[in-house]
Amino acid sequence: MTEHAAPSPGSGPERAAFRGQDLRKIYQTGETEVHALRGVDLHIPEGEILVLLGPSGSGKSTLLNIIGALDRPTSGTLYYHDTELTALDDTELTRFRRANVGFIFQFYNLIPSLTAEENVRLVTDIADHPMEPAAALELVGLAERRDHYPAQLSGGEQQRVAVARAIAKQPGVLLCDEPTGALDSTTGVRVLETLGQANRELGTTVVIITHNAGIAAMAHRVFHFLDGQIARTVVNENPIDPAEISW
Amino acid sequence: MNALDLKLMRDLWRMRGQALAIALVLAAATATFVLSMGVHRSLTETRDAYYARNHFADVFASMTRAPRAIIDRIAAVPGVSRAEGTIQQYATLDFPDRNVPVRALINSVDEFGRDRLNQVTLREGSMPRPGEAEEIVIDEAFANANELGPGDTIEALIYGTRQQLRIVGVGLAPNYIYALAPGELVPDNNRFGIFWMGEKALEAATDRTEAINHLSLTLDAGASEADVIRRVDTILAPYGGSGAFGREDHFSNAFLENELMQLDAMTQVIPPVFLLVSTFLVYIVLSRMIRTERTQIGLVKAFGYSNWSVGWHYLKFALVIAVLATALGSAAGIWMGRAMTGLYAEYYRFPFLYFRISPAVFLGAAALSVGAASLGALGGMQSAVRLTPAVAMSPPPPPVYRAGFVERFGQAAGFSAIGHMIVRHIARWPGRSAITVLGVALSMALLFATMQFLDSTRTMLDSYFFRAQRQDMSVSFIEARNKDVLFELSQIPGVLRVEPTRAVAVKISHGNKTERSAIESAMTGSQLSARIDSDGSEIDLPSAGLMLSRQLADKLDVRAGDKVSVEMLGGRRTKTMMPVARIVDEFIGDRAYAADTTLETIARDAAPVGAALLRIDPAARDRILTELKDMPIVLGVTERDASMQKFEEVINDNIFTMLFFYISFASAIAVGVVYNSARILFSERVHELATLRVLGYHRSEVGVVLLGELALLVVLSVPFGCFIGYWMAQLMTAMFSSDLFRLPFAPSRASYGWSAVVVLIAAMLTALVVARRVLGLDMVRVLKARE
Repeated sequence: MTEHAAPSPGSGPERAAFRGQDLRKIYQTGETEVHALRGVDLHIPEGEILVLLGPSGSGKSTLLNIIGALDRPTSGTLYYHDTELTALDDTELTRFRRANVGFIFQFYNLIPSLTAEENVRLVTDIADHPMEPAAALELVGLAERRDHYPAQLSGGEQQRVAVARAIAKQPGVLLCDEPTGALDSTTGVRVLETLGQANRELGTTVVIITHNAGIAAMAHRVFHFLDGQIARTVVNENPIDPAEISW
Repeated sequence: MNALDLKLMRDLWRMRGQALAIALVLAAATATFVLSMGVHRSLTETRDAYYARNHFADVFASMTRAPRAIIDRIAAVPGVSRAEGTIQQYATLDFPDRNVPVRALINSVDEFGRDRLNQVTLREGSMPRPGEAEEIVIDEAFANANELGPGDTIEALIYGTRQQLRIVGVGLAPNYIYALAPGELVPDNNRFGIFWMGEKALEAATDRTEAINHLSLTLDAGASEADVIRRVDTILAPYGGSGAFGREDHFSNAFLENELMQLDAMTQVIPPVFLLVSTFLVYIVLSRMIRTERTQIGLVKAFGYSNWSVGWHYLKFALVIAVLATALGSAAGIWMGRAMTGLYAEYYRFPFLYFRISPAVFLGAAALSVGAASLGALGGMQSAVRLTPAVAMSPPPPPVYRAGFVERFGQAAGFSAIGHMIVRHIARWPGRSAITVLGVALSMALLFATMQFLDSTRTMLDSYFFRAQRQDMSVSFIEARNKDVLFELSQIPGVLRVEPTRAVAVKISHGNKTERSAIESAMTGSQLSARIDSDGSEIDLPSAGLMLSRQLADKLDVRAGDKVSVEMLGGRRTKTMMPVARIVDEFIGDRAYAADTTLETIARDAAPVGAALLRIDPAARDRILTELKDMPIVLGVTERDASMQKFEEVINDNIFTMLFFYISFASAIAVGVVYNSARILFSERVHELATLRVLGYHRSEVGVVLLGELALLVVLSVPFGCFIGYWMAQLMTAMFSSDLFRLPFAPSRASYGWSAVVVLIAAMLTALVVARRVLGLDMVRVLKARE
């Protein structure tokens, strides 16, 4: 692994999925202001796996939400390819999410009244170039469980349905907030393998927030967060296979 | 205040919208209860006080003419405590500037103030004095409508003689709380008044020296009214007695009774609907609240709070709502009660009529509210009481969904994933979905039942005025005439057709049942009158025998083909056995009909014309009225169009008030039910809705999930609303029907449509208010939260 100073946006040799400059986010909670991001510059190359590490409250999730168009920065600019996300209105942000972003959460967030396949269809119904829901489930190894409701699936299976749901629209970017946080190591590894597979086979840019430093080993790049800033960026020349991750 | 009570207060504040929505429905229950009980009580108390103070008689009897001395014989009848005799005489009044006929019923009063029964309460001026033959007292409603008062004079045609009358007083009497001119359906204070005149003066004016034609009696406590009536009838028979009757057959009193009965019916039908809905609402809201507070309940129990104190905590939530509802509803009930009493005061001539309400009514209303809310709360809180702390503090198992039959239907219909979400959620909570459907359906039903009254009244009106009455005018005479009068009338220029008609007072008996009624006849082949069945078809008079209205037939327990005994009252008291040829379903009154030839045979008199029906050239109306006014034999003229217009006015006055109240009430239910369903739905689905937003669904698309389910339920409730409404309207029509009239059940399609539209609009607006919350969804929270 080599350590770099944070690269300036757009300056990298690879084509950037995201470029951000001086991103700041201030939350007003009652009388006090919380500075969640304090001027973040970033460059996320397309087709990489990026891991965000750092203590609670260091700004990882805030950044993920901003990249995922769930939230806006208080100031700064952010580009996805040539689109300036910071200039979009609410409807355009929703359209951007719909077209480009797949989300995976710690608690799966499946709709309990829909079967595995229907949960995937929820996304393919509105996407531009989706895969077949069955194909997405096949990809995560759940083809036979497609007619099961979330309550009939294990935690790992539910998370894999969530992954299938996220990749089914063939998004440009997969954003994962603690995807293995609620899973045991075996199941966690299966989920990570699926993410790796999506990255390899579909060329999807994958951003993962985790508390588990071991996961960083599968990333092409790691941002270490501290106090609302990227303290350092580590580029990993030889990402390992998720199966080899020590939990 | 302990910590749990603090929690209660804050919960109530947090859920104020929902609590208020429930309170609104419960308040509607209280309001209708306070309204109908209060008005009922006010009317009853006012009537009773008025009857007692002015000595309203117990038994009444009319006769053609009897010597004054008969009063002593009547007073001697066992059971009679007091008897008084009077003269009652119709007169036509001459207002120089008006050619419409104005009539008055003149009653004699003792000039020395020795009358006890049916006493006149003077509002202004004084009673007629002895020796002042022209002095009269007029009733207040007539005085107000015609702007008359003491000092004014009126020209009257009494018993064929023109006479100048001077008003010396304005008054009211308990036997004329509700007064109608003969042949009219609703009071017209402009055209009909009640007058009181000195006894000697009226004797002279009607050629009845020391004679009377009317008797009023009071009875001793415990005396049998039926016995007294039998004896009085025997005594009066030679004097053309037309049959004594008790208060229940006294027109004014019967009308008032009818009104009270309708108020009773309202109390029995309307508030229970609201109470039922409130109970359900409290149940679903508390059930949901307890599901979300599962962990807190576990915690509180783990601290050592008993099941009882946890249960009591949630019960108090319901009680606060009930108390609030009682206060709101009572205030609304008082306000509406005042408005309604004001309406009554216009049609009923009471010396005073205030909306008065006793503490018992409030207590009753409070008990009903508290009862309904507690019942709902008890159902909802059972799960809270049963939860053990350990189970409660672990997260609830995820809701289990199954593919049911709806599912297979959905697959067949090619539902989108969103469609599946909606349908499965409804199927997952069948009880709550059913309550939403039922609640909205009840709101629609209530509105429909009210609107059906409009249809019902219009149908009655149409049947009575447009189809049964085809004359332009009906002319009544001082006394029955022979057929020469028809020729005389036909000679008036502009009169196109004249037909005789007649109504004879009779007693009809069948088995041990006897009813006072009238037999009406019309000429064979009449063009100006018809008898209309309740289904709208025209019924011919039977060539022989009687035709009875359904109401009369039911009272006498008579079927077509039976024979009844008919006793003529007044005139020759013949008794004849007659077959009942057929039964006719009618809306107004309980009458009998016979062909003119049949009636002539049993009446055996030479004066078969009681009244004449005229068709006229409209251009000649004024001239014809003037001519009729100058004919001494004419007692009164009723114009069909004017009566109809007056009737419409009265109905519109009442219906408008009623509709306004009921649209508010029905909307209260719809709003209460939809608001609570929507809030519960939103709270259950907030997580899913936010997830959809994260996945890239637009706000409008997410709104569909929330509104789609509500819309489906509300639309589903429309057929149920029609069904329940149909049933409720039928029940209310039956409960509102009386001896005086029977309301037809005649719902129009427009009523179904309008009640659905009003409820759908109320539901839609309410749902949109809740749907606005979709705008404020916090997507980011979803990333973190486990439901």
